[in-house]
Amino acid sequence: MSEFAVRNRIREFRMLNAAMTQAALAEACGVTRQTIIALEAEKYSPSLELAFKLARALQRNLEEVFQYAEK
Amino acid sequence: MTKALRRTQVLLALAALGAAGMFLGPDGWYGIDIGPVGSAVLYAALWLFVIHLSRYSGEVFPESWSPAEKQAWVALVFTTLVTFHVANLLLPLPDLGAEADQLRNSATRPLWINLGMLIFGWIVIGSMVRKQDAGAVQLDERDLRIAHRASRFADGALALLIIWLVVALVTLPDQSRTWLRPLIAANVLIALLIARTLVENIYTVWRYRRERA
Repeated sequence: MSEFAVRNRIREFRMLNAAMTQAALAEACGVTRQTIIALEAEKYSPSLELAFKLARALQRNLEEVFQYAEK
Repeated sequence: MTKALRRTQVLLALAALGAAGMFLGPDGWYGIDIGPVGSAVLYAALWLFVIHLSRYSGEVFPESWSPAEKQAWVALVFTTLVTFHVANLLLPLPDLGAEADQLRNSATRPLWINLGMLIFGWIVIGSMVRKQDAGAVQLDERDLRIAHRASRFADGALALLIIWLVVALVTLPDQSRTWLRPLIAANVLIALLIARTLVENIYTVWRYRRERA
């Protein structure tokens, strides 16, 4: 049986968003820069609230930033 | 690796060496009592670390560590030292007989002073580390989730430790229980709580490392 996981395109959209830094994104979402690093490395899945904050900061829809896809 | 980070590692190694001498060193080695020497080295290393922290604010820990992870490492270092202290406090108690029931007995008095100094050092270094990241987010949902997992893991470990202690006490033959005095039992329970905190801190730093790998 295939395993599913939360995947994200944070890094990709951050680069498209005038090369927004990890620190700037972290500040916009009220988290530490290390949490953004963990999210981009897909070592951590955010809460729904943080996912919405990230999508808003990146000016994207939630489904564009996060997908529930096969590992 | 930066110069400040290398100095941090040297100071930590020095503190570990001092702690090893303090807790495990032989009483007489070429006529030198290693315990007080180790103790002096440990406290000197901690004092130098305080100076180092005030001089190189922001460079003492790796950049990839969040404020909560730095605090977790500080807590781990001090909890380990406190655990060794409490173990040293407990070991001579069974040999004291009735004196073990006195809070201020000859075997444990110097250890209580050291314990107080360690807790004071923890408060000073912890508040200095916190000041380094003043203005930044200190704790976010990832930190809280890690703290919650660590707490649950440590609770499980505490339950196992209590079961082990109960089994050990029940299976001890009567003649082997003579050393078990009320204050020794109380100290053992406190030691279990400290061991729980140590397990919690070990799990926390392991979890941070795992999420970074």
